Amino acid sequence: MFTQFLGNYLLRKGIVNQDQLFTAMSKLSQSHIKLGTIAISEGLMTANEVDECLYVQTRENKRFGEIAVERGYLTDDQVSVLLSHQTPDYMLLGQILVDDGIFSYEELERIIFDYKNDSELYDLSLDIENQDAVQTILSKFFLIAEMQVTEHNIMYLELMFNSLIRFIGEDFTPLSPMVVDEFPITFGVSQAILGDREFISHIDCDRETAIAFASRYAKEDFTEFNEYTVAALEDFLNLHNGLYIVNVSNDTSKDIALEPPVVTEDGVLCGAEKCIVFPVAYPFGTVHLITCF
Amino acid sequence: MDITNKKILVCDDSILARKQLMDAVNEIATGATFIEGKNGAEAVEFYKNENPDIVFMDIVMPEKDGTEALAEIREYDNEATIIIVSSVGTQEQLKKAIKLGAKDFIQKPFEKNQIKEIIESRLGGQ
Repeated sequence: MFTQFLGNYLLRKGIVNQDQLFTAMSKLSQSHIKLGTIAISEGLMTANEVDECLYVQTRENKRFGEIAVERGYLTDDQVSVLLSHQTPDYMLLGQILVDDGIFSYEELERIIFDYKNDSELYDLSLDIENQDAVQTILSKFFLIAEMQVTEHNIMYLELMFNSLIRFIGEDFTPLSPMVVDEFPITFGVSQAILGDREFISHIDCDRETAIAFASRYAKEDFTEFNEYTVAALEDFLNLHNGLYIVNVSNDTSKDIALEPPVVTEDGVLCGAEKCIVFPVAYPFGTVHLITCF
Repeated sequence: MDITNKKILVCDDSILARKQLMDAVNEIATGATFIEGKNGAEAVEFYKNENPDIVFMDIVMPEKDGTEALAEIREYDNEATIIIVSSVGTQEQLKKAIKLGAKDFIQKPFEKNQIKEIIESRLGGQ
């Protein structure tokens, strides 16, 4: 997830433009060596064990290493060794941008130093298993939007980014969030979360973006906006919210439920208090993920 | 695997989720007849009309949710084979579904292997 955060920083500071970032992001998935792949090559895990951990990861908000340790496939020490073999994903993005001639290695070193300072990550290692670092950066997103930073707000946002990485693709950049009283709807789907912490969740985008988003989610090649593309957006939101309430109920045993998702084609989205908008830029378009309280 | 003459009721408000489930079944078996429902009320109605061999049903659905439909179908036929396929995999939801008579609970996104195991174990030997 640090790649996406670094992308946000690079855009925010004007170090790269969106086209340069998307080009680099598109090369990322081909260059990325996952922890499970290294574990197989080191003979520490079998392909079946890796598959099992990846499968669990689609349901639980946990790191790959954490799941492998829980299931007795790796020890904590082995996870640390494997992580040291892995080029951090955010450094890979930096390296691709250097290769593309956007900046030099020397500039990259300074950018990473400034990025860590900007994100208040002075002593935290940015490896993919470092939950403290992820939560520190996520807190900043809420502070930018002048939102209250609560454990559940952070959990919801972290799950949202993880759901995007797992079900749509890692080549996105979260843009700066905004707090608004109301949000004019382009096209989207909404789903209410009921219980102690009631809120409305919503995905909004234009129709072309919806087709591309749906194609990735369903692993189909949709060419037109139809009931399948709409259903894919509904399913993504439902899946993400389902994961959220499973995590909340595991943590607190509080009763929490989902309403069926509904399509909203126009009008204005508003909550009793306010809405927080998290724009996420993919190469195919920008998707707005909105929660209204 | 040939499951000709077997009727499968797939009940989910998402047309995509229904398609993905039917595609998963068709990849491992041939000949099934599918009946599609998009809410709990249709699940109950179609079950009574069609008497399917197995039901795959979501929980979060409009009009009547999957839990209510599960209870009504089991009341009508306490031998009904109903598999819950839902994104809401909380322990509480799982216990509730099993208590009401669901034969299995699959959390979305499902793996094709999970569908394969169910089709083989529930329809394979019949």
